[in-house]
Amino acid sequence: MSGQPTGNASSGSRPATNGIPSGSMAASQPRPNDPQIGSSNASNGQPGSMSQSNLNQIVIEYLSKKGYTRTEAVLRVESANQDAEGRPITTGSGDAGGVKYDSMRQFIEDGLDIYKPDLRRLLWPVFVHSFLQLVSDFFPKESRDFFNKFRPEFEAEHVEDIRGLATIAFPEHIQDHDLARIYRGNKYRVTLSQTAFYNLIMFLESLEKSGGSALIFIIQTYLNVVTIDRTADQRSSFATLLQRSKEGEDFPAEDEGIPGHNPGSANVDRSAGSTVLTRLKLGPTPMEPDLMADVRAELEEKDMKDPPAEGQNSLVQHFEQQIKREESEEAPTRGELQLPPSVARDVAMEVQKVREDRDRFKIEGRTGGVGPGVSVTMFTFHNTYDSINCLDFSEDNLLVAAGMSQSYIRVWALDGQALPSAIEGEKPSASRRLIGHSDAIYAVSFSPAIASSDPLAPSTKSTHLLSASGDKTVRLWSLETWTCLVVYKGHDSPVWDVTWGPFGHFFVTGSMDRTARLYRTDHIEDLRLFVGHDKDVDTLCFHVNGLYVFTGSCDKTVRMFTVTNGYPVRMFTGHTGNITSMACSPNGKLLASADDAGIIILWDLGPGKMKKRMRGHGKGGIWSLSWSVESTVLASGGMDGTVRIWDINSGNDAAGQGRIIGEGGAGQKIDGNAAQMQASAGAGTKKKSKEVVVTSDQISAFPTKKSPVYKVNFTRQNLVVAGGAYMP
Amino acid sequence: MSVWNPDNIKDVAESLGVASLNDDVQQAFCSDIEFRVSQVLEEGLKFMRHSKRSTLTTQDIAQALRVLNVEPLYGYESTRPLRFGEASIGPGQPLYYVEDEEVDFEKLINAPLPKVPREISFTAHWLAVEGVQPSIPQNPTTADSRNQELVPKGPSANPNLAAMSGNDKVTVKPLVKHVLSKELQLYFERICSALLDESNNEYRLAALASIRSDPGLHQLVPYFVQFIAEKVTHNLRNLFVLTQMMQLTSAMLENKSLYVDPYIASLVPPILTCLVGRHLGRDGDALAHYPLRRLAASVISALTRKYSKSSHMLKPRLARTCLKHFLDPSKPLGANFGGIIGLQAIGGVEIVRALIVPNLKEYGSMMSEVLDDENRKVEGDMVVGALVEALFSLEADTVGAVNGMANGHAVEMKNAVTEKVGSLLAEKVMETGNPRLVKAILEC
Repeated sequence: MSGQPTGNASSGSRPATNGIPSGSMAASQPRPNDPQIGSSNASNGQPGSMSQSNLNQIVIEYLSKKGYTRTEAVLRVESANQDAEGRPITTGSGDAGGVKYDSMRQFIEDGLDIYKPDLRRLLWPVFVHSFLQLVSDFFPKESRDFFNKFRPEFEAEHVEDIRGLATIAFPEHIQDHDLARIYRGNKYRVTLSQTAFYNLIMFLESLEKSGGSALIFIIQTYLNVVTIDRTADQRSSFATLLQRSKEGEDFPAEDEGIPGHNPGSANVDRSAGSTVLTRLKLGPTPMEPDLMADVRAELEEKDMKDPPAEGQNSLVQHFEQQIKREESEEAPTRGELQLPPSVARDVAMEVQKVREDRDRFKIEGRTGGVGPGVSVTMFTFHNTYDSINCLDFSEDNLLVAAGMSQSYIRVWALDGQALPSAIEGEKPSASRRLIGHSDAIYAVSFSPAIASSDPLAPSTKSTHLLSASGDKTVRLWSLETWTCLVVYKGHDSPVWDVTWGPFGHFFVTGSMDRTARLYRTDHIEDLRLFVGHDKDVDTLCFHVNGLYVFTGSCDKTVRMFTVTNGYPVRMFTGHTGNITSMACSPNGKLLASADDAGIIILWDLGPGKMKKRMRGHGKGGIWSLSWSVESTVLASGGMDGTVRIWDINSGNDAAGQGRIIGEGGAGQKIDGNAAQMQASAGAGTKKKSKEVVVTSDQISAFPTKKSPVYKVNFTRQNLVVAGGAYMP
Repeated sequence: MSVWNPDNIKDVAESLGVASLNDDVQQAFCSDIEFRVSQVLEEGLKFMRHSKRSTLTTQDIAQALRVLNVEPLYGYESTRPLRFGEASIGPGQPLYYVEDEEVDFEKLINAPLPKVPREISFTAHWLAVEGVQPSIPQNPTTADSRNQELVPKGPSANPNLAAMSGNDKVTVKPLVKHVLSKELQLYFERICSALLDESNNEYRLAALASIRSDPGLHQLVPYFVQFIAEKVTHNLRNLFVLTQMMQLTSAMLENKSLYVDPYIASLVPPILTCLVGRHLGRDGDALAHYPLRRLAASVISALTRKYSKSSHMLKPRLARTCLKHFLDPSKPLGANFGGIIGLQAIGGVEIVRALIVPNLKEYGSMMSEVLDDENRKVEGDMVVGALVEALFSLEADTVGAVNGMANGHAVEMKNAVTEKVGSLLAEKVMETGNPRLVKAILEC
């Protein structure tokens, strides 16, 4: 493959700069450098001249006269590829891309079963790049035909990308289109087994004459093929792989995709020793010695006043055994986190936490085959006309806030009582309107709070509310005076999400401008900028110890950054939809992330690997996730109007796949015969898989009455509080 | 090739003064427009998603345009999806437009203001309790959620889960017949025949005594309830049967080992029938049914005493029925009588004071007419007797010393009583010459 032209060079040589070609789309333009044409045409290398045709005629006549029949035949064949003016005929060369892609697909489907699952993963990136190549080579019609011909088989997994790419018709569009730019500007990473990859390359080289080189070019330029030895690793072994394909699961592998990274690490560069993962400090944040002493004293006093019941630990004992958090290797130090010194309120909160932790109804793991029975209270909002964008419950379960599309926030007390104001002369009111934003509110968040049972202790109520809006600002509101305190202007685009750190004081925002930013409430400018996502940062979540921030984006990745220095430490790929919500487990070891395709994925933070996929929700977004205090149960709520409860510890094998045990809709079973299914898929008849599959680790699902669930929240007593709007 | 209609490009070009546009140019424009439109849509979808909606609104598009640095289109702001009208401008060429009614300004100004939309409010309910969804109106029925996939299915799915959430599609099994032991069946038959046996008094009393005291009859309760209801409905003319049924009811209520609570609602109608029924027993003997009514009243009284605590609507409902029958002059006197003694039986003194006494004056005047009528006098006397009796019950309730009745005083007092309960009853009351009673009545 000498003189392989780059994509840019070839499109640069296009007459496209002139705007519209004068001839028909399948024009007879000379394109000697066209990679699509392949070497068969280009290798002719005949410089076209005006008398070429005549000359050929003359030569042929001469040869036949002389009886050089074989030479004549060769010349006839070779000159047949030229038009009357001697230019190489390129008719259908646009289509050739399709033909080549088709032959490669055919090769993969006809190949050995053992290579199939591997090589199939290659189809999507090659398809996209073949298409983009066709577009940039200015074959608007062919590119569209090609795209429409093969798109059905990718609809299930890449529906959004397909929708985005479908309308691209001209090279300029590629420059204008986010997704196309991302595909062109990055290398798509695919992991293949060595043998499969060699086989493919050998096949493509045998196609050299009919344009296999174009595909090799694509693989070389735009793909990052990582070859691995399948026998080495259990997780990627053939057996696992075959098992997966049998179960009809065709998900991208964790390390596959545009920012193709090494699983677990945020390091995209393979050579940079990326196998060594950054060590994470996932332990709980230690307490200040002063705070600890205060809490102890307070607990002792409580124990005196209110001795523990029979068979119950005293509060101090419980604190010593369960709650106490000291400096350790596994945990960040307080100095690192730069938290402000504790105040009386913190002592009261810690005391209350110890108490609740002792007296709580504990949800243990799944026992005896039936998951724990969880109680859910649903708050349904009426007469909203779809104007509620987001909901949040305060952690003490006293307040609920709703962000409206009409640019204001409304706060109610959950017990229906009037909300008093600290401003003198202002009457208590049943609900408060916080007015200040100039565009729709996309997120609200209450500052940390805890329900207090001791009227004498300092107040542990939620004191502040944060809101993120389409007007590019974040506002901090006081819940005592019901006024706006601070406006944080920093983002350049609508702010999609805002969330408080686990200890208050810090908060993080995510925006359409593809960044997430860390703020401190007492500074109006941002402290850290978390950059890396290719698209909007849609959703955010703090690690429970406050040292890390997770960002979820519609580039389908979740990233993990360190708060203290802004470095990326982990990256998680594997989602097929836009990330809509995330939640970090209270024990700090797991992250759950959900997408709008209805899939929840659990990630193991330490090794940075996928733990399992949980399926059951319908399409349209899982808006909220929440963990039980013991980290054994996860609750989710979404657009499909259900609250679902998931078992964390069950239903998994080494492959990291929740076993599919049933299929809804047509009720068609998919055991075995994957090859047949795939064959029908190849014919483009595979219907868009609308059936919802429920994995076996779902404990229960509670449908609401036509109310999408915007928020679910496990209280510290392990009761689920859910909120949604009734949409008749 | 493209979805966008090339004619549209041509029209726009013409309106800008470009008379002839090359076909290729048109095609290229079409593709480009499609691309731009899809770009706007992609951005708009983001806004839709973050507003947690499933419909794309004009606002989303406006916001998307703003983000793309394009002047948004004004005038299409709407919180609801726009309605599009369709007009045909030729075969197979539909034209879509936004339905926008012309509004008469004058009319709009003079029209009353539209209603204020309802306030956003919220309600709370249990979506699940201990892992089970309670079937309350706030939760969808199983039929509503049938099309949703809620529980894992298939060979390894846990059947308990499905059963717990009530979503198991197991067909409903036919109702299991309530199995009664042979002995109980025999017992039931015997009791029934004994009760209905008019000739053998002893046998009957033994049966009632057995029901009154035997433990272990609980399984038969629904059968007895059914038996009573059936007999009462079909034997309104047969006083004997009705009486026996009342006896049976009272016997059941007296049995301490029977749990009758769930059956109260089905027991009440037969008793009320015997108490305030229009025509009980055969014509001819006008007074024959009064003992039955008294019996029914005593049963009601026992019933309310025992169960008014567990079902708090029982008393008011019974009282309402009785009052209706007492005050309805179109009903036969027997029914009125039943109403009076029923009220007295249900609530005792308080009800007499609150519901009977205030109505006495008018009722008394009606009764005077009745008493003048020879045919109805006998029954009238019974009713008046019942009223007087009710009044007497007041006496027991009064406390404190009462002056005797001096003669001069009596006239005055009689006037006061007449004022209170009407002349007819006043006379009856004065006849008794009981000063405490008078005082009690006057105190009402």
